[in-house]
Amino acid sequence: MISCRNVAKLLMSDQLEAQGWWKRMQVRLHLAMCKICSKLELQIQQMRKSAKNMSEQSDADSDLEERILRRLSGR
Amino acid sequence: MGFSSSEAEDLSQDVFVTFLERLDQFEGKSQLRTWLFGILHFKMLERRRALALDSRNDTIDEIFESHFDANGSWQRPPADLERLLISKESGVMIQNCLEGLTANQREAFVLREIEEICTGDICKILGLTVTNFGVLIHRARARLRHCLEAKGLNRP
Repeated sequence: MISCRNVAKLLMSDQLEAQGWWKRMQVRLHLAMCKICSKLELQIQQMRKSAKNMSEQSDADSDLEERILRRLSGR
Repeated sequence: MGFSSSEAEDLSQDVFVTFLERLDQFEGKSQLRTWLFGILHFKMLERRRALALDSRNDTIDEIFESHFDANGSWQRPPADLERLLISKESGVMIQNCLEGLTANQREAFVLREIEEICTGDICKILGLTVTNFGVLIHRARARLRHCLEAKGLNRP
């Protein structure tokens, strides 16, 4: 049986896809049964979403791109 | 990626100037985006040469391990972050916590999670093996989680 520690490590380090199908299957099964590990998986997704929102927000706030374009085109 | 806004402005100008100068050398073997981030990466390296690279050991690894017992089972389950992450201040908090990461960890996190570049391309941009990238992104996420957890505890 794969341990929670190893599942957490694979999730956090993005190494799941690099594993063979048997290992991936074990992890999927584990996640289906283990509430704590699936909570961690969810949190990783939520952090991604929040980080993306944060960056979209700050992109919307700045006109940097426009300024670069203006400078490059010499306007 | 952890620079002040004036530094970031300089940096992006630098990148575009190099991009225009070297455009004729672009062979179309990789995506334009990959190539641009590659230039950005080298420009950042130039700026950070004075800074030491990531050390082999990072205290965040011990913090991660402390969640588990000797058998690898959770002894300290991850705290709830759900409420914190859907709150209005989550953007500011993430930004804040990202500042606590090393430059390399932050770069790995931004390229993977915000720019959504695939692992293979990130490794090309940063000149890393998949395993090295795994260590960086693991530490980046663990540090971020840990920082958010602490902020969650301090909230009323």
